[in-house]
Amino acid sequence: MELEELRNEWQEMSKEIENQKILTDKLIIDMTQNKFNNKLKSISIPETIGTFVCFAIAILILINFSKLDTWYLQVSGLFSALFYIILPILSLKTIYGMKRIDISQGNYKDSLEIFAKNKMQFIKVQKWSYYLSFVLVIICLPVASKLIKGTDILLESAVWLWYLPFVFAFLYFFSKWVFKKYKGASNSAEELLKELDLT
Amino acid sequence: MQKQQEFINLIKENEGVIFKVTLVYTFNEEDQKDLYQEIVYQLWKSYDSFRGDAKISTWMYRIALNTAITNLKKEKRKGVRVPIDYSLVSKIDQIDTLMDDRIKLLYNHIKRLNTVEKGIVLLYLEGKSYDEIATISGFSETNVGTRLNRIKQKLKSQIKK
Repeated sequence: MELEELRNEWQEMSKEIENQKILTDKLIIDMTQNKFNNKLKSISIPETIGTFVCFAIAILILINFSKLDTWYLQVSGLFSALFYIILPILSLKTIYGMKRIDISQGNYKDSLEIFAKNKMQFIKVQKWSYYLSFVLVIICLPVASKLIKGTDILLESAVWLWYLPFVFAFLYFFSKWVFKKYKGASNSAEELLKELDLT
Repeated sequence: MQKQQEFINLIKENEGVIFKVTLVYTFNEEDQKDLYQEIVYQLWKSYDSFRGDAKISTWMYRIALNTAITNLKKEKRKGVRVPIDYSLVSKIDQIDTLMDDRIKLLYNHIKRLNTVEKGIVLLYLEGKSYDEIATISGFSETNVGTRLNRIKQKLKSQIKK
């Protein structure tokens, strides 16, 4: 079937569709007033909840910072608090960036380009968040132990003997999983950008 | 009030256009309904930017296509849902019975094209000239022609399989 033939058939079908007038004034008004919630509009609920949890932990660490009485606990505490503040902000920023494309401005090509670039940025941030969260897993243990139990886990416990090998083994498999998880999405965004550059 | 009534009339006159865009960019009825609402909402939001300074169909296709692509891949996200009026559901059902098998097959093949190609072939099938497709899509007329040739080949080989 040639594309020209398909176009004729398409237009026949279009005439039939145009004759099916279903929308009512009320339905259109409701749509313009954004009365319907739908999943396209849903703000990233897990990310938003996660951000509040992270902020709460960061505040808890900073409020109790004086309890961290050695230089390594203080460094770990400071970095943990920074991670808990910066990583969720970066993540939310990229998510909102993807949603903030001005639909009324720009043509199809421009919007696709912005969308693909934002997506690449989002994937990059997500990947780094996963990797950095491993540093966090290691440094937050002594901080948590000091703040909750009042003990310096580095001096008073043999937990590192099993904790570190376990974390590094987990890191190995987890990194492979992260790489695989984002490879497909990253490739499709790259392909889209390449496709836009074709002349 | 007058602005709102003008907008309602505009949507009613072009409800089929929105419907066809949603059909090409979604893979199930739920997403299609969501996209339909979102397009109407975005059209209303940018209605002031349209008034008089562009051809109405150019503006409408641009907003509809931009909305469709910025919502790509969101189908995995779950959100709170309030059911839309049942009339839209029945429209989808009614139109489904209107389409003969060849058109259904064509839709399935178009859905398998990449995002850039989907937009261009949709505008072509809608009877837009190369010039109009170029204006809406942002590609040059020559580029639109080249892409349409590639799409033809692609559809042919897809249909043969």
